[in-house]
Amino acid sequence: MKEKTDVPQGTLALMVLKTLDVLGPLHGYGIARRIEQISGDLLSVNQGTLYPLLLKLEQEGAIESERGPSENNRKARFYRLTRGGRKQLEAETRGWEKTTVLIGRFFQVKAEDLP
Amino acid sequence: MKHLRVLWKRVAGLFGRDERDADLAGELEFHVELQTQDNLRAGMSAAEARRQALIKLGGMDQTKESYRDRRGLPWLDSLLQDIRFALRMLGKNLGFTTVAVLALALGIGANTAIFSLVNSVLLRPLPYKNADRIVIVWESKAGLSPHNVVSPPNFLDWRSQNSVFESMAYLADRSVNLTGEGSAEQVDAQYVEYNFFDTLGIHPILGRGFTKQNDEVGNDDVVILSSALWKERFGSNPDAIGKKILINGSGYSIVGVAPANFDFYIAGGSVTGEHPKLWLPLVLSLPLRDRSTAGRFLTVVARLKPGAELDQAQAQMDTIAARLARSYPNKDQGWGVTVVPVRREISGNVRPALLLLAGAVGLVLLIACANLSSLLLARATGRQKELAIRAALGASPSRIARQLLVENIMLAAIGGTVGIALALLATRALLQATPPGLFALRSIPVGAPVILFALIMTLIAAILFGFVPSYVLAHFEVSPSLRNASRGNSDGRSGRTAHKIFIIAEVALTLVLLVGSGLLIQSLLHLIAVNPGFNPHNLLTFKVYLPTQQYRSDEARIAFFGDLTDKLNNLPGVRSATLENLPPFSGFALWGVATSVLLPGQSPQLTISERAGTAVRVVGANFFRTMEIPLIEGRAFSPGELASEKHVVMVNQTFANRYFPKGDPIGQKITINMKDDQDAPSEIIGVVADAHESDLSARAYPLIYWPYPELTYSSMSILVRTVGNPLAIVPDAHDAVLKIDKNEPISGVGTMNDLVADSIARSRLAALLVTIFAGIALSLASLGVYGLISYSVAQRTHEIGIRMALGARRKDVLWMVLMQGGIVATVGIGTGVAAALALTRLMKSLLFSISASDPATFVGIAALLSLIALAACYIPARRAMRVDPMVALRHE
Repeated sequence: MKEKTDVPQGTLALMVLKTLDVLGPLHGYGIARRIEQISGDLLSVNQGTLYPLLLKLEQEGAIESERGPSENNRKARFYRLTRGGRKQLEAETRGWEKTTVLIGRFFQVKAEDLP
Repeated sequence: MKHLRVLWKRVAGLFGRDERDADLAGELEFHVELQTQDNLRAGMSAAEARRQALIKLGGMDQTKESYRDRRGLPWLDSLLQDIRFALRMLGKNLGFTTVAVLALALGIGANTAIFSLVNSVLLRPLPYKNADRIVIVWESKAGLSPHNVVSPPNFLDWRSQNSVFESMAYLADRSVNLTGEGSAEQVDAQYVEYNFFDTLGIHPILGRGFTKQNDEVGNDDVVILSSALWKERFGSNPDAIGKKILINGSGYSIVGVAPANFDFYIAGGSVTGEHPKLWLPLVLSLPLRDRSTAGRFLTVVARLKPGAELDQAQAQMDTIAARLARSYPNKDQGWGVTVVPVRREISGNVRPALLLLAGAVGLVLLIACANLSSLLLARATGRQKELAIRAALGASPSRIARQLLVENIMLAAIGGTVGIALALLATRALLQATPPGLFALRSIPVGAPVILFALIMTLIAAILFGFVPSYVLAHFEVSPSLRNASRGNSDGRSGRTAHKIFIIAEVALTLVLLVGSGLLIQSLLHLIAVNPGFNPHNLLTFKVYLPTQQYRSDEARIAFFGDLTDKLNNLPGVRSATLENLPPFSGFALWGVATSVLLPGQSPQLTISERAGTAVRVVGANFFRTMEIPLIEGRAFSPGELASEKHVVMVNQTFANRYFPKGDPIGQKITINMKDDQDAPSEIIGVVADAHESDLSARAYPLIYWPYPELTYSSMSILVRTVGNPLAIVPDAHDAVLKIDKNEPISGVGTMNDLVADSIARSRLAALLVTIFAGIALSLASLGVYGLISYSVAQRTHEIGIRMALGARRKDVLWMVLMQGGIVATVGIGTGVAAALALTRLMKSLLFSISASDPATFVGIAALLSLIALAACYIPARRAMRVDPMVALRHE
């Protein structure tokens, strides 16, 4: 079954990594809440797609997980960024920034500016 | 790198599933709980809070599903699912599965067995370097033999005049006595030229080969042992090199040991009928090099030069032979040369039979596959509804196709595995059922090439005959089946036609096999019925070889054999005993020992090669009485003639008819080239009936019998006619020999009946196996016809009901069904007859005294097959007859 999501996987992965970078180790629900908070109404994410994504990131070695105590004293699985994950985050952030600048330049160009 | 790591993780994800599933369930539950609590705080009711939480998650199961897809290898998962489903489907339709597996197992098993046999005999590597470059070179003469042994002067001229052979060597097999260390034993020795092993590219595993020095008298008392003999006599001890063994009473130094699997036995040139166990140098002495005194007795092996091909070699040798015939008309006129690849020489005898078996078994496989196809077609049309529903539920065509493919591969895999097991059993049984000389194999290994062959067959069967028809049928007829909701099992037209074609093909191929079987069985029966010309029952045979060192004079040898036959005659249980140099069916080549004769009235100026030819046998007292060969004219040898040379001969019927067509041969004098000269010819004193000598299907040739004193051979076979089982007197016979000379071994002990039976082993095997294949084919074809008609009746139940409701009588229905079956059978049989007429021509060489298009056989088999097809139709036809129209009309 194909995953139905409004957000390309690559973008969501970046958001997860950034979230973990900023907030430190979180469990799955925490990550979902945080992404929801930041994106506000602009994004509707099927929360369920998060878990396969977390597994993918774990398989790729960008994050690692372990069980730990949580708010309602239940044991939950906490995810945290690895060194490789941090490197990947930095590289992708730079990439996005470059893309943003480039696209921005295109949007600023008016018809009169073109030769 | 990342991908490798991910792959590794996913493979790891295949294990410990349950634990992880529980883990995930816990994690998701935790997530939903937290969300629920948030929802509660936001003001929702408890139930609503949870529901919204679940919706936000996107559903528990979907999430778990996506997670699982990422965790493991989903394609592997669905493949395993397909396999599990396929096995379940096969298990549910046990009847279908059993028939399909059985058909496949028989087809694949039989083919694998025959292939491993063919591989071992015709394709296995021979123990010589570049064996496909090695040939045997024969002399040939029309009317005598195309593969005749060679005279040394001719060999030497061939060698000096040819430019196609890199090297040539001669050899001749003889029996020798081994004495000294170990027990006295008579073995076959191969006397060879010193460069024999080099020509074959063989290096001894111990010691050295022969050198040029060994090619001189005085330096030729060296011997190379076979590995088997080295093990037997010296326990494989390396210090055997340098030791001496006594061969025919003389000492020979052991210089080398041949490799373990080395064997060089050319039946066409052998007079011993046994595989050699040791090699000795043969020096060509002056008399042997002289054309006026040399006879033909060598087998010649040669290696083609790189770049030279067989036909070039044959052409050049033809030229050389023609030149020699012109230069030496006395000896070589009318003689040519035949060059034969060594592989054909070694396995040529069974090649046609093996090829026949390979062809026949191929037909069986085709029939089995056709059966499989028709079974699957019938099932496919029945499953169309199921497949249509699956498609409607979202299965992509490739998914459905993959599932069908997996089903067929499973089926074929099971069939193939059973088939391989059957093949293993079959090859073992085959070896046990045939005499060791037929294939010259100790075992038929079912090794890598054979297993590979079986696997390929299985895959072809699965894909070509299983999957493709099912897929085509299912794929192209899905929509109609859904629309025809009232007629549950709708039948695709193309499916029915394909089904019919398969069954027709089965019937046709079965007919071909049955005809083949019928012809071979009749051939065999004719062969068995041939009168060998003597009485082979209760006849013991064994060989005795008198070494020339101990028995130097004619008198010594005559005395020995005379004494022996006396002792044997006096044994209880013995009716009479005699001797002959080459007894019948002892494995020698056509004509055995032969020479030319000068008939009365012919000019002595006639060259040797212009004279009449005859085979020569030397026999002891009471020969014809012991063998029970009838005397036709004249008398047998008198005691005086059996005691010393008196220049008398007896001839066989063919000799008398051919050389004395008008008038009486008795009293006539003939000069036999082998030993007579013009002034002392031999007188014909009697004519006896022809006796078959080596092959029940061969034509008789002229033959003369000399009493032993005329030509006192050192190696003779003793023939003993016993009252009861011949093998019972073997110990006594052996004692009799030892009483005369305690160092004399005997060898080649056997009964004449066994030897005669062995000679027809090839025909017997061919007839047996083809009959088995025909039986398998017949069962499969009958099942096929039965299945086709059964299925058709089931399909047409509705229609039959309507017909009956409209007034058709039961008999009409019966007739209608039988007609349908009849048409299929008739077309099948007709096609089969045409195919058989074309194909049986190929097995002519295996048939004896029956034509490849024998009308009686064809008509008989066609009738038989028609009856069986009719019977196969009858049961479903009766079922059709008994259809209750009311039930049928309601049937969907």
